[in-house]
Amino acid sequence: MDSSVPAIELRGITKSYGSVVACDAVDLAVHQGEIHGLLGENGAGKSTLMKVLLGLVQRDAGTILHHADPVEIDSPQAAVALGLGMVHQHFSLIEPLRVWENVILGDSGRIDRIAACTQVEEVGRRYGLPIDPMARVDQLSAGERQRVELVKCLRRDPSVLILDEPTSVLTQAESIELFSVLRRVVQQENRAVILISHKLAEITAATDHVTVLRKGAVAFHSRTAETTPQELARQMVGRDVSLRAEAAALGVLPVERTSITPAAGIDAGVPAGPAALSFHSLSVQVGGVAVLDELSLDVRAGEIVGLYGVEGNGQSTLGDVLSGLIVPTSGTIELGGVAVDASGPGALQRAGLGIVPEDRHRSGVVLDMSVAENLTCKALDDISARGFLSRRKMYAIARRLTAEFNIIAPSLDAPVRSLSGGNQQRLVVARELSANPTVLVAAQPTHGLDVGAIEDMYLRLRKVASSGVAVLLISTELEEVMALCSRIAVISSGRITGVLSTGEATAERLGMLVGGIAA
Amino acid sequence: MSAERTGVSLVRRTMLGLQPSRSGWQIAGMSAVAVVIVGALSTLLISSTGSSPTAALHALYTGSIASQAAWTTTLLYAAPLLIVAAGSCISSRSGAFNIGQEGQVLIGALAVAAVTLKLQLAGWALLVIGICVAALAGGFWAWLSSLMYRISGVNIVVSTLLMTFVAQQLISYAVNTSWFLQEPSVAGIAPLPESKQIATGSQLRSFGSYPNLQLSVGLILALALTVAVAVTMTRTRWGFRLKMVGLNPLTARHAGVRVAALGGLALAISGAFAGIAGAVLLTSPVGNFRLQPGVSSNIGWDGLLVALVARNRPIVAVPFALLFGILRSGGNFLSSTGVPPFLVDVVKGLLVLAFVAPPALADILKRRAATRRASASGRHAPALQGAAA
Amino acid sequence: MSFVDNTSTILSSGVRLTVPLAFAACGEYLAERAGTLNISVEAMMLGGAFASVATASATGSATIGLFAGAIVGLVVAVVHANLSHRAEINTFVVGLVLNSVVLGLTSFLIATSRFASHQVSQVSIPGLRDIPMVGDALFVERWPVYLLIIVIPLTWWLVERSRWGLELRAVGENPQAADGTGIPVNRRRRQALMWCGLLSGFGGAYLATAEVGSFNANMTAGRGYIVIAAVIFGAWRLGRSMVGCMLFGLADAMRLALPALGITLNVQFLIAVPYLLALLAMLIFATQHREPKALGQPFERGSS
Repeated sequence: MDSSVPAIELRGITKSYGSVVACDAVDLAVHQGEIHGLLGENGAGKSTLMKVLLGLVQRDAGTILHHADPVEIDSPQAAVALGLGMVHQHFSLIEPLRVWENVILGDSGRIDRIAACTQVEEVGRRYGLPIDPMARVDQLSAGERQRVELVKCLRRDPSVLILDEPTSVLTQAESIELFSVLRRVVQQENRAVILISHKLAEITAATDHVTVLRKGAVAFHSRTAETTPQELARQMVGRDVSLRAEAAALGVLPVERTSITPAAGIDAGVPAGPAALSFHSLSVQVGGVAVLDELSLDVRAGEIVGLYGVEGNGQSTLGDVLSGLIVPTSGTIELGGVAVDASGPGALQRAGLGIVPEDRHRSGVVLDMSVAENLTCKALDDISARGFLSRRKMYAIARRLTAEFNIIAPSLDAPVRSLSGGNQQRLVVARELSANPTVLVAAQPTHGLDVGAIEDMYLRLRKVASSGVAVLLISTELEEVMALCSRIAVISSGRITGVLSTGEATAERLGMLVGGIAA
Repeated sequence: MSAERTGVSLVRRTMLGLQPSRSGWQIAGMSAVAVVIVGALSTLLISSTGSSPTAALHALYTGSIASQAAWTTTLLYAAPLLIVAAGSCISSRSGAFNIGQEGQVLIGALAVAAVTLKLQLAGWALLVIGICVAALAGGFWAWLSSLMYRISGVNIVVSTLLMTFVAQQLISYAVNTSWFLQEPSVAGIAPLPESKQIATGSQLRSFGSYPNLQLSVGLILALALTVAVAVTMTRTRWGFRLKMVGLNPLTARHAGVRVAALGGLALAISGAFAGIAGAVLLTSPVGNFRLQPGVSSNIGWDGLLVALVARNRPIVAVPFALLFGILRSGGNFLSSTGVPPFLVDVVKGLLVLAFVAPPALADILKRRAATRRASASGRHAPALQGAAA
Repeated sequence: MSFVDNTSTILSSGVRLTVPLAFAACGEYLAERAGTLNISVEAMMLGGAFASVATASATGSATIGLFAGAIVGLVVAVVHANLSHRAEINTFVVGLVLNSVVLGLTSFLIATSRFASHQVSQVSIPGLRDIPMVGDALFVERWPVYLLIIVIPLTWWLVERSRWGLELRAVGENPQAADGTGIPVNRRRRQALMWCGLLSGFGGAYLATAEVGSFNANMTAGRGYIVIAAVIFGAWRLGRSMVGCMLFGLADAMRLALPALGITLNVQFLIAVPYLLALLAMLIFATQHREPKALGQPFERGSS
């Protein structure tokens, strides 16, 4: 087949959700035998573009060409028929089913279990993705599940393979393994791969071509070899990346201890007083498995402590415990030296803990309630008298907080659903800080935010810490914790494997700790 | 947790999906058309039996709103319907979908019958105590479902449904058991499966006298409860929490709300309302003042339908409760024209669809239009490209 | 009467009362595996019962009546499926409305019509019918009973072995993921409902034309809800759901037979047994996560 004709080409794809333009006349051409990186911040339109390509979302305008033939992709089935295969960021496997059942899902014709199992094993051998076809998916680890996804995709012999943030749940070793599989897929079998990522290092290391999306439009396109991470970062953000933390968060800065200076005033001014927040042997058992395993940690007033680790090592469980959603199986949580019974809803909050949860849609806001209601929902005592609500007081508080935290909303009565991610996040922070907490826990606070909002969040966290609040930053971004924190605790399999001051932390030592090896 | 989410999405579908929007007029138009279709279908059905549709309509009119006496009956039906509906609004708001009102109505009726027939007190005191016990009993019955959900996540829709059939058998047992509530037999005649009539003093009072309009205390109670629910839901701290629990239980818990307890309480309150409705029904003329297996006569099911049509807004439930009351009282007059009264059940069901379906259809139309636009632009582009080549 | 005779009577009446439940439960089981908690199974059975009697009277053939019953069950299912899995109206609302409309409509029509009575013929299996106690119960039956011997394994095969069934299970467990894999979620759910309608209609028709021979208002009298209870009692396993039907059918038979035998047992309790057992089963099994994860949840593309 003519290699100058793209395997898949998108021309002028436009898609709006209401007044928000998610994709604005996007062009993208992907050739066989190459890995094409699609880079962009969260909300830049990468996901929408791929949903259009996969028939999950209907575009408003534009053309899709498959080997130069215009095609209509109006359903996932149509996409599959054209040889488009996708490995989703969040796994699309069906848990109670077995591996082989998941793999053949979406095919047609009679079921042949033995042939399916053989094929799973055979594809696994060919690409170095060993997996037991009879295993039930709900008993597999995250890495194994991704293998199943890949096998499922590859056995259909896709001409175009799409991977959406494939490394977000993988360890470094697993990521490297994945990219070597992908290289084999394009070089030996002449397929096309679209790699969606917001990690510059990954894109530079693994792709042949790169397209940068910004605010729904193509901002930049180049051969990867002909560009630099700095250039990509600039294109992704739309201006020179100057702020140190911001650059670090984007992965522009190499992850080396020497190149990162902790933000001024954090190391020096930390009082050595008693811990404002401490965990003692905190454990959470889920179905016999210790998700949090005797976790102990202290955070003192005025410091930012980072809790760093690969996703899925107990961070979200810790977040849920601190949000009052899960009651720890054993261990204690102390605030200001006083043990708090975390079993009652809101007990930790009343004791002075504010939390910005990892998934704000899940437990941070009520999407279908108004901005004013969301801002005041934890301070009902302040806006009511004798059980009755005072709209006047509610609006007064909401007006003050939206102004102070620069929350942009159509109106105070608008549902939070209608706000952008950054504004939703600012709303959560505003509400949590409005209670004057002594401890602030921020879990993945910059996930899904644009650079402006990230910058704003970092400044806010620093300011909060310098005002004497103890800050615990739960993050999977190494650069983020290196730039913000004075101490970094590493979590692995629900345990703290080590606590380093930023001065002692090197990528190597942290890497060992993340892998569960105490350094 | 998954069942909780189910509840949430259910309520979203029934509450939020139906709020006024840009397509509000379109929806109203479709509802109007749907009501006309329901009318046409009913006409067809009546004609098929050889009866006259105009005669049937006239009978409906005569039985429900033609005279003050007819209005009296209509309002007697509307009162318990409204009480059930107002209670449903509360449980739905919390995300728990209670469909067992029929059983809870029966339990309420059982309770009021037991109190008024077994205790020895002044009539009015018996009535007041009876209604309170009915509320407690109906609430308890619904709360059992919430308890089962908390113990092992039993789906609330299923358990409230099944508990209805258990309640029916409990009533049947009560009126078939001499030591319980069955009326003692007159010598030589086999006893009927029903209780004694409750004393006049324990029956709900009405203002006015036949043939003029008689306003039952039950209706006043119903309206008061409805207003109370409306105010509670929109103006109080408790209503705020309830809304949070319904829309996002996790955020609610994060904000310090005892989600399970509040959800259980909301379910119990909806059951208590159904229980009160049962008491009001039994102590008014349309309930014959005695416990019979069929005493609830589907008031529970219909009250739930009223709440659904009103999209869980208590004030909006008032006119719909009235409409359903009209259909009931009018339905009693249908037989005189040779049209079986069951027609009313068909009309009621179709009317619910006429109000519930249009918003869903409007949604589909909107999506179809979007797809058409997209494929139209998709077809357009290749032509351009061909021209360029 | 001897103990053997009594047991035999109760057994054979139990089997007869089980059959309509079993047909409908096969359908309900399949619909629930696909994620629809279908409460309009009552409407499907009742509609099927009425249609079979009306058709049998018109054509003079009870067999044609049986199949007409299945068709009407299918029609109810198509209406339900399109309202809840196309127009996305809450499936419980649709179920309640359909139950009310079909009950009203059939009561209305039976009140204004006269039908001649027709019954399907009995088949007895020589040799086996002479087995004491169970011979009469199992081997002297109206022929549709023997259809169950095909329908039960067929339903099992469809769910557990066919590609269609694999997709149904996927849809019932995780519709979002199934959709991403290219499975038409709502179409599969509609198809599952249609299978349910077909079998429930047939079950209702069996009740009317095979056992009773006539129709009366609300003749299914909540059997549809018993079917739901049986599937729940079976913890979403077909075999155990069938055992549930058998148990509930026998309870019904005992309720009818005991007074004649001079045994006094609480009738109301016997009627309530299926519901109580289903509730008890849920209390025990619900913690073991046996139910399809997306049971009762509507699917809309893009929402997660």
